[in-house]
Amino acid sequence: MKYAVISCIHGNYEALNAVLLDIDRQRVDQIYCLGDLVGYGPYPNAVVEMIRSLDIPTCQGCWDEDIVMGLNACECSYPSQLAEKRGRRAHEWTNRVLHPEVRDYLAQLPMTLRQGNLCFVHGSPNSQHEYLLPSMHGFAALERVLAAQAEVLFCGHTHIPYVRYLREGKIRVQHRGETPQEFQATVKMIVNAGSVGEPRHGRPNATYVIYDTDTQEVTLREVPYDYQKTCAAILEQGLPPIFAWRLARGMEFAERADDPHHVCQR
Amino acid sequence: MIAHWAILSGIEGNLRALEAVLRDLQRQRPPITTLYVLGDIIGLKGENDAVVQRLQMPDLEPLEPQICIGWWEEQCFNLFGVGISGEVPELIAQQGEAAVGRLWESISRSSVQWLRSLPFGFHELDCLLVHGSPVSASEVLTPATSPVVLCDRLIRADANQLFCGRSGELFDCWIRAEALTSEVKTLDGREEQTFDLSQRRLIGVGSVGRQPSMASYVLYQPGNNQLKQCFVRY
Repeated sequence: MKYAVISCIHGNYEALNAVLLDIDRQRVDQIYCLGDLVGYGPYPNAVVEMIRSLDIPTCQGCWDEDIVMGLNACECSYPSQLAEKRGRRAHEWTNRVLHPEVRDYLAQLPMTLRQGNLCFVHGSPNSQHEYLLPSMHGFAALERVLAAQAEVLFCGHTHIPYVRYLREGKIRVQHRGETPQEFQATVKMIVNAGSVGEPRHGRPNATYVIYDTDTQEVTLREVPYDYQKTCAAILEQGLPPIFAWRLARGMEFAERADDPHHVCQR
Repeated sequence: MIAHWAILSGIEGNLRALEAVLRDLQRQRPPITTLYVLGDIIGLKGENDAVVQRLQMPDLEPLEPQICIGWWEEQCFNLFGVGISGEVPELIAQQGEAAVGRLWESISRSSVQWLRSLPFGFHELDCLLVHGSPVSASEVLTPATSPVVLCDRLIRADANQLFCGRSGELFDCWIRAEALTSEVKTLDGREEQTFDLSQRRLIGVGSVGRQPSMASYVLYQPGNNQLKQCFVRY
């Protein structure tokens, strides 16, 4: 079986269309989506309608959750207070334009999807807000895969695609006065699907992944699209112009030095 | 003066057990320099308000009591509407429906307010002292917990010694992880890294008030890493 896994579309209909076209050419058997259908981008309703019309199994992202539950960005990604203010503006705009049936759809999305020994989440098995960065301590990363009771854990949320193989983990536990117990982990994999609509890998192209269950091969896909159309729509809708600026560059933008004491609101 | 810590948890409102342990602490040599109480001060084992007041009494001053919240305090906060959730499903699941009314009746608002001011835990020297785990006050860690979970909690703790009290058990166990190879492939390249975790220690500090007639706690000397498990009949 060949799976395409997409994530973090963020209301970018142009990028979604380009990625779906690319997926079509790759002849995959099934598409999975890891959430964050809305937020930042100018076409949240159209994106959700497209995902629904194609019946793509989707789990709930942090933006989807926040739109349904109210802004609740615990362990949030905002690296500065200014970034948080922009995020709040985007949240308010999305909240205003979202159709009721789209909101209902986002509300019923599951946190986790499973297919055999594969598990699909937005952030991590613990939370939609937790980042599984490729630099995370290897044993902590291994714990997330085991917590998901999976061999391969698919996640998004970081907006940068990667595949991480965790091999030969060995742990020794010795209780006072007893013989040490040894634990050995088999190979596990974390696959980050990147971002369709708000990539941050340094180029404006949309990213997603393909996983082949027969060969266990992961292909990271990068798809060019007309990002300037989306940038123009961001400006037209009155969303923060910095969203267009960073979309055109494929990067996060933050004023770290201005706000060293940023504290999450929750 | 040699640093000598007494670390307790799980008083659960059992004033008699607490008094017995406090008397035992007076006898310890070298003298106790710091008293840590890792949550579950209150519970359904007796007099919650009396225990709260006892822990604030001036005669404990030389011991510099350092007190953090536990599972019971979190249930209490939720019950009194000052917690993260306004509901108490864990309390009902673990203690039954009747526990809700009993806990409500057993503690004054002023005690709840005082408990609310307590921290989640303490990071001292290379030790983390919490009720459950770095993840939550509810989480039970024991030597039987999955080794990978133990590794993760020790990484999160960012400490060599993790003291916890949720299980109510006394234990002293060492965890060492080695040889995990991580290979990361991105759109721009490939990187391989090896991870290990130097030997860390997970310590269960027992329970003062949970078991009738028998209290337990630990003594720890950070200077030489010595741990002593103590039992007190009362």
